[in-house]
Amino acid sequence: MRGADYVIKRTGFAVVTVLVAVTLNFILFRLAPGSAVSNLSRVPHATQETRNALKRQFGLDKSRGEQYVLYLRELVHGNLGVSFQNSQPVWKNLKSDLANTIPMVLLGTVFSIVLGTLTGVIAAWRRGTAVEHASVTTALAFYSMPTHWLALMLVILFAGWFPSGGMVDDFLIDPTWFQHVKDVLHHMTLPALTLALVLYGQYTLIVRSAMLETLGEDYILTARAKGLRPWTIVRRHALRNALLPISTLIALSLGYIVAGAILIETVFSWPGIGRGVYQAVIARDYPMLQGAFLVLTLSVVFFNLVADLIYFKLDPRITA
Amino acid sequence: MSLLEARDLQVWFDLEGGGTLHAVQGVSFALEPGERMGLVGESGCGKTTTALALLGLLPPNAEVAGEVLFRGEDILRGGEESVRPHRWTDVAMVFQGAMNSFNPVRTVGSQIVEALELHEVAVGAAARARAAKLLESVGIPADRARRFPHEFSGGMRQRAAIAMALACEPSVLVADEPTTALDVMVQAQILELLDGLCRDFGLALVLVTHDLPVVAQLCDRAAVMYAGEIVEEGPVERLYHSPRHPYTRLLFAATPDLSGDGAPVASIPGAPPRLDRPLVGCPFRPRCDRAFGRCAEEHPLLRQVNGSRAACHLNDVPA
Amino acid sequence: MSVALQEPGLVEAPRPVRRRAVWQVVRRRPSAAIGLTVLVAIIVVALLAPLIAPYGLHEEVGPVFGHPSWSHPLGLDDGGVDMVTLLMWGARISLVVGFAATLVSMLVGGAIGVLAGYFGRWVDVVLMRITDYFIAIPDVPLMIVVAAIWGPSLFHIIMVIGLLLWTSTARVIRAQVKSVRERVYVQRARSIGAGHVRIIFRHVLPQIAPLLIANTVLTIAVAIFDETALAFLGLGDPSRISLGKVIENAFQRTAVSSGAWWAIVPPGALVALLILSCSLIAQALEDALNPRLRVAHLSARRFRLRPLVGRGSEAV
Repeated sequence: MRGADYVIKRTGFAVVTVLVAVTLNFILFRLAPGSAVSNLSRVPHATQETRNALKRQFGLDKSRGEQYVLYLRELVHGNLGVSFQNSQPVWKNLKSDLANTIPMVLLGTVFSIVLGTLTGVIAAWRRGTAVEHASVTTALAFYSMPTHWLALMLVILFAGWFPSGGMVDDFLIDPTWFQHVKDVLHHMTLPALTLALVLYGQYTLIVRSAMLETLGEDYILTARAKGLRPWTIVRRHALRNALLPISTLIALSLGYIVAGAILIETVFSWPGIGRGVYQAVIARDYPMLQGAFLVLTLSVVFFNLVADLIYFKLDPRITA
Repeated sequence: MSLLEARDLQVWFDLEGGGTLHAVQGVSFALEPGERMGLVGESGCGKTTTALALLGLLPPNAEVAGEVLFRGEDILRGGEESVRPHRWTDVAMVFQGAMNSFNPVRTVGSQIVEALELHEVAVGAAARARAAKLLESVGIPADRARRFPHEFSGGMRQRAAIAMALACEPSVLVADEPTTALDVMVQAQILELLDGLCRDFGLALVLVTHDLPVVAQLCDRAAVMYAGEIVEEGPVERLYHSPRHPYTRLLFAATPDLSGDGAPVASIPGAPPRLDRPLVGCPFRPRCDRAFGRCAEEHPLLRQVNGSRAACHLNDVPA
Repeated sequence: MSVALQEPGLVEAPRPVRRRAVWQVVRRRPSAAIGLTVLVAIIVVALLAPLIAPYGLHEEVGPVFGHPSWSHPLGLDDGGVDMVTLLMWGARISLVVGFAATLVSMLVGGAIGVLAGYFGRWVDVVLMRITDYFIAIPDVPLMIVVAAIWGPSLFHIIMVIGLLLWTSTARVIRAQVKSVRERVYVQRARSIGAGHVRIIFRHVLPQIAPLLIANTVLTIAVAIFDETALAFLGLGDPSRISLGKVIENAFQRTAVSSGAWWAIVPPGALVALLILSCSLIAQALEDALNPRLRVAHLSARRFRLRPLVGRGSEAV
């Protein structure tokens, strides 16, 4: 298989990064001052038995090294501990949180990628004109807005048209599947729109940059000399080549979006992983925090790996 | 009516800090079917820009004036729309050997097919077959069509570029430094290839190069460019044996002769003039070894002198 | 929000940069000039806040969420404090955090980038591996966690932000240093026996300065953003009023449902303006320094024709 060792190398790197992240997770939450150890005593409503049970489960009565090994072992078994807030297994909470976050983030991201690509191609195509300046400045302007502030702006702007919080209407009794979906989408509009507006600017710049570089290549001149129409050249040659850096950069940015959704979910009270992190921080729910953090780091590593593989697949020049 | 004619071609480039560069300052020449003309000069003299201007292949910061006539029809006048139909089917180009003429993420064959399909010479399987035949006619095995450009050596890539240029059976081939950056053995092969193909297909050739021996080998006529203008033009033999412009004379004298009679290679001291300012007098005067008073005041015009054209006041001086 | 507006891979090896290049770029591009002007204006106002603020920072001059009026163009916040005053003082803290965090990030990232780029080989590999791991970790959650653990104080916030933003700086600097290192004059300096430190400071740094400036400005923007994010999530320093804190206060004290838009819109708009001006400057710099983004390249658009003015080679 072409470049099998490239794939293996990148996957290996990803695995090592995960290990590093896991270890960092451990260090942060177990060894840092004010960590789970000393904070167990601050867990509300915990009886002495619960505390002892927790201690034993987390192996907090053992040495640091043993704790680390125990932690890893639990991890492999998918045991991320139990949330302090609702006494549910962390992974269960994470799962439902993620299930709520992903559709919203996906909607926003797709929209922002599409919008960003369109504006980026147009900006590159109309290089040096007012259209390009306007396009870039608008993109930068949205990109510069604090996410939570923009969210609030949209809430103010669309007050009465779209719900300003929550994922479902609590007063909708016994909805059909269709009604439920409609309801969720209704609630999803503003958060997804916020995400889309804040992020699209980054894609505009990436696409524009990649397109400009590509349009400066020699084979574009050849294509023009062959008699191809400008739009055909952009579509068939420039865009196709610019797709390389574009797709890797997009994949890279995807890893961070879930993290960035924290602000949006907080404003809109969207029950996703972002808000989960925030609530866990407030409640000092360390198992939840640890688990969420791990998931977020994994998503970044995963998307970085995807980006590497995409680049590999799209560029026939990489053979090793 | 000539096959391809340039009349008073001018090109200006907008410079980034403001101002314009007058890169081509009134170039005129005519090319008959099957005729081979060399366009020679130092780098920066405007020969590549002239070649690109023939097909309107200039960047957005360029301004063009003058006429380019193909079989008597001005193809530039209507802008991009009027010149595009003539690209590749009437006049095709081969670019420098060092350039990336091919899109690296598509196969070489598909790019030749693209030219065939675009100009409706052939479609689908027929196009692929034709592309394979074209590659073979330049000495590349047909199965290479499915390979990517980076899998070709420099010389092979150039040959593939030539094959692609011939795909639509043009009447004129414009080759811009086709052998530059290729090693000597490969250069000879490419030149032989061009020679044979032009003869077999009756192609007219415009060969842009700074390399005089190449012109001598391949072309019947040559136009010598300096500072954006043609300063001398005529049969290659005459240019070499009885040049009518000091620059031509010095240019040929500066070419190292491998047959070596040991004569010292003369290089031309100085540098070409800046083209972002208007010039007074002859542009070559600062470097000319035979300049006199009139050269500083009056710009010499291209005139007929004994069967060739030259732009030098010395030709007006009674012998 | 990530700092990777320009992937280092997309930036070609830089041409030798003239000393005044940065200033020329700003002069020639209106967007950069505007950005710089706005940025400087805000900084000046913030610096002079103690002198020119119309009212006291904690001075209650009216009712909660008082409406905008002539004496209070931007109304009052939830404590009856004049918004304009709040904005001025808030900008101070936000800017302090922005610059300080950037300083930390520059020092760390710059050191790592220079060392990795200059010495190469195993130093490079090790440092870049570490950088890669840091990049893989999502910054906002980590910031939140560390801020939560460490406790809210201005110093902690600055350190947290700074220690997470250095990665892009390190990468950019490393790429630049690497290409500069191969330049002839550096080789020459080495052959005369100039020490590494001397070479780095006298030859390498001036060359990488423009892109470094672009990166710095961008980092400031991100730092300010991160500060507002942290403040919004309740992790900011409660004893200092930053712009982020102003937004958070407004949100917490239900400014939205009270219809007090003046408590929310201006602070966020000011932050957006700050970040935008930084971004414009950085974008213009990166544009100008990337040789492949010029207009004078072979774009697939049309050429221009000059109307006929005369015929023949005699026409001028």
